[in-house]
Amino acid sequence: MLNKRNMARLYAMFWLCFFLFVVLLGRMAYMQLWRGDYYAKQADGNRLRQSRILAPRGMIYDCNGKELVNNLPGYAVALQKQSEYDKEMLKRLSVLIDIPLEKIEKKIKDNEYYSEPVVLKANISPELVTKIEEQRRDLPDVILQVQPIRNYMHNTLAVHALGYVGEVSSYEIENGLYKDVPQGSIVGKSGLEKTYDKVLRGEDGVLMEEVDVAGNVVQHYDTVDPVQGKSLKLTIDYDLQYKLEKFIDQHLEYLRKTKLAPKARAAAVVALDPRNGAVKAIISRPDYNPNLFVNGISTKDWNAINNDPNFPLNNKAINGEYPPGSTFKIVTGSAAFELNKVQLNELIYDGGFHPLVPTMGNAGGEVLGWLSFIKGLAMSDNVYFYELGYRVGIDAIAKYARIYGFGELTGIDIEGESSGLVASKQVKMDIWNEGWRLGDTFNAAIGQGFNLSTPLQLAVMLSCVANGGIKHQPYLVDEYLDPDGTVFGKPERKESRHIDVSQRTIDYMRDGMSATTEAGGTAAYFSSLPKKVAGKTGTAENPHGRDHGLFVAYGPVEDPELVVVAIVEQGGYGSSSAGPIVYEAFEEFFRSQGLLPPEPTKEELEAMARVEAAAKALAEKTERMKREALADKKAQEALKKAKAEAEAELKKEVATKKADEDKKKKSKSEKKKKAKKKKDENKED
Amino acid sequence: MKRILRNMDWWLLFAVLILMGCGLGLIDSATHSFAVSTGKSWHFSRQSTFMLIALVLAMCTLRFDYRILKNYATPFYIFNVLILIAVMLFGHTQLGAQRWIQIGGFTVQPSEFAKVFLIICLAAFMEKRIEWLEDFKDYIPVFIYIFIPFVLVLKQPDLGTSLTFMAILLGMIFVSGFKIRWFVWCTTLMVSLMPLMWKFVLKDYQKNRIRVFLNPELDPYGSGYHVIQSKIAIGSGGLFGKGWLEGTQSQLNFLPENHTDFIFAVVGEEFGFIGAAFIILMYFIIIWRGITIALNAEDDFGTLLAVGVTSMFMFHIMVNIGMTIGIMPVTGVPLPFLSYGVSSLLTNTMLIALLLNIRVSDQKLQF
Repeated sequence: MLNKRNMARLYAMFWLCFFLFVVLLGRMAYMQLWRGDYYAKQADGNRLRQSRILAPRGMIYDCNGKELVNNLPGYAVALQKQSEYDKEMLKRLSVLIDIPLEKIEKKIKDNEYYSEPVVLKANISPELVTKIEEQRRDLPDVILQVQPIRNYMHNTLAVHALGYVGEVSSYEIENGLYKDVPQGSIVGKSGLEKTYDKVLRGEDGVLMEEVDVAGNVVQHYDTVDPVQGKSLKLTIDYDLQYKLEKFIDQHLEYLRKTKLAPKARAAAVVALDPRNGAVKAIISRPDYNPNLFVNGISTKDWNAINNDPNFPLNNKAINGEYPPGSTFKIVTGSAAFELNKVQLNELIYDGGFHPLVPTMGNAGGEVLGWLSFIKGLAMSDNVYFYELGYRVGIDAIAKYARIYGFGELTGIDIEGESSGLVASKQVKMDIWNEGWRLGDTFNAAIGQGFNLSTPLQLAVMLSCVANGGIKHQPYLVDEYLDPDGTVFGKPERKESRHIDVSQRTIDYMRDGMSATTEAGGTAAYFSSLPKKVAGKTGTAENPHGRDHGLFVAYGPVEDPELVVVAIVEQGGYGSSSAGPIVYEAFEEFFRSQGLLPPEPTKEELEAMARVEAAAKALAEKTERMKREALADKKAQEALKKAKAEAEAELKKEVATKKADEDKKKKSKSEKKKKAKKKKDENKED
Repeated sequence: MKRILRNMDWWLLFAVLILMGCGLGLIDSATHSFAVSTGKSWHFSRQSTFMLIALVLAMCTLRFDYRILKNYATPFYIFNVLILIAVMLFGHTQLGAQRWIQIGGFTVQPSEFAKVFLIICLAAFMEKRIEWLEDFKDYIPVFIYIFIPFVLVLKQPDLGTSLTFMAILLGMIFVSGFKIRWFVWCTTLMVSLMPLMWKFVLKDYQKNRIRVFLNPELDPYGSGYHVIQSKIAIGSGGLFGKGWLEGTQSQLNFLPENHTDFIFAVVGEEFGFIGAAFIILMYFIIIWRGITIALNAEDDFGTLLAVGVTSMFMFHIMVNIGMTIGIMPVTGVPLPFLSYGVSSLLTNTMLIALLLNIRVSDQKLQF
């Protein structure tokens, strides 16, 4: 029989067990009560799958509210965020979406430190969406994100202003350009899309779904709706932009075909409102289609764009640097008047060359004789401005060039602007390590040599002349709009200020430019516009080929509302290459104001053609009938007879009518006489 | 019959019945998604059917006095060893271990029944020698007696059951007066033999389980996965739990083996601390009554039997719950009355019947 000690052992066993139960309970309490929240979060992390709902970007409208850029619905393939993926599944996916496995793995690695799903391919085809849905079970970590696709509605229209979007690159995330943007997001890559990316992008939403261990969705859990980005209302006028783009393409083709400028492929145009700096149209040629970039551009398309010697991606209106040519004579002229180095009616003799540097003369060796400032500017005489340059000196020219905005960024709200170059002694020293010569001053005075400017800078300079000396920051975005169309805000702009040039001098410049478009000026054909437009031609020397043709203009001269600058690379003389573009711009502008009859629409043209055809058919018919009638002489005679009878009858009728009328008249006059008599009698009474 | 009712240990009976009921509810929950997808609650009906069979069998055994078992100790022992050898030869493999044997239409796990045989045989074997168990060397026959079935089970390999044998042995020799200092020696010896065991005895997957037990994050998608998911399930249950059928970890299948070895995680997740504490209390009642029955048994055979049964239950409870909460390594030990498993259910019911038998056979009529 077990003894007392054994009984004690049983008690010991009981207390030992009791202690172990307490340990269990203690551990349970620790895990469930103390650390409960931690584990609850882990459980939610297990069962809840978060996927991003991409916010649609804001829309872009023209100044009249016409849609330029919107979004189309689409799908993107993404991988649910996980620390590890099944290799077999990735392989299957790689085949399905046609992206090499290494590329997928790289994307996963790039996304290592983000909790967002890894976006693999955007804007997939509806067939691929179905295929992935069918293979759901084999692809537990794959999710399909609804993704708005950016759509440039008018394709190439205003592409250099709008820019384009694309998937954010790891470089952009790392280098802080888009630092807090999750991988796979669509961001602005150039143009307004880039400058206003923060405004346009919006806030992504979150879709939370409960999934089982295989990744199958069990039920919907929660949704945070995405917030669409703000829309942009631009200053650009769709009609003007569209008409100008169409015309430029036709015009460049015309220039090439007629061999006037066989290599004219690149061009730039800026049209802005001199009263506030609002850009009404901005064009650069050649162009490209931004829709190609939205889903990742194909190698073929990219090579086509990238290997084009005329750089379609460049916005030549803001970053093309050209010698301003004769348009720069406004700067030289301003300097001369401001410094009192010349009088308005002072005559300077052009003998074909300047006596101090006899090798430099007019284009084509013209000799224009005695010239006043107005005539010198209107006829764009080089010798006259050599003399002015000689009188004021390079330092003064450089000073006034800067006053007009050359050599500095205009501050327009698209990235990639160039600042150009103002010719000065220092510049020559820096570039050539040579001293300054009088010939350099002469070159600078007529806008050649070291001077470089962008078309936009020329537009800003011209605006100053047009509006009486106020420098506005040019801008493209007028307002931010909420999705419902109400105004949300306005972008900030640099304050406008008066430039340091007197009203008198500016008036002289305006007179000179007005004379340019009058008879005897270099662009006399502008006088056919309904209101007076002042302009200035320019030819920018191009050491690599034919000269660039330039034309700048503003109008109407009494109260300028539009400034247009056009440049055609290798276009030759400004008046024939760039001038027609500017002319077209003003024509369209005046037409929009009702000063010119509207262009016939397509339907109208068709209707006109129909009427013409009908008239022709009618003419043929009468001709045939005549011939038939001639063949039948009897009928003809009868016709004659009948005609004669009819005429006789008509005469008779006319005669009787006349007689009747005469009678009536007579009776009337008699009545009147009687009445008069009565009146007279009454008077006498 | 009157005697049975009069001497019945109601605490123990009700604790067990409550646990069985809870077990059915938990199995239903744990296999819910399976049942929904197949349209059959196969696990639930099988478990409940066998529960009834087990209860009827248990009632029947109460009619016999447990003391007659003493006479069958040697045949039981031989039968047990033969069965275990049969498993090695004809058993089929499941989950990397050769534990199952097909008898008629059923697959049974002989190592489960081996526990019953072992407790009876060992109790009988020791009772005969109880007067002589004075010195350490007196225990050597006991060790040899248990060594043969132990090795056979270990070879299957079934670490859980072989460790259960050790626990039963430990409980019995502790109560029979095995000196504390001998325990210390043995422990020291075992620890010093560990490196050898590691090298020659333990299988790779067993080593891995121990490694992962020490650091589950080592293999979050492999063997550590179970423990991590189980801890998340229990921890996320909080005070009141997520509610029956509402546990996301088990319902969405993040928790594997949730109807067998990890069923306690379902308790923790769906019924919270309150539910888990209640289950632990029921187990405590079983252990408490087991030791009380051992104390009040009329003879040493009864005491040793009760101690063996209690030790076995204690071991299963501690190792299983400890495993689900990450304080014990993962061994394939089911939780009595809750885990799905017909063999284990029958075994456990028989063992409880044995405890009750010791109680109702008591002629002294105390407590």
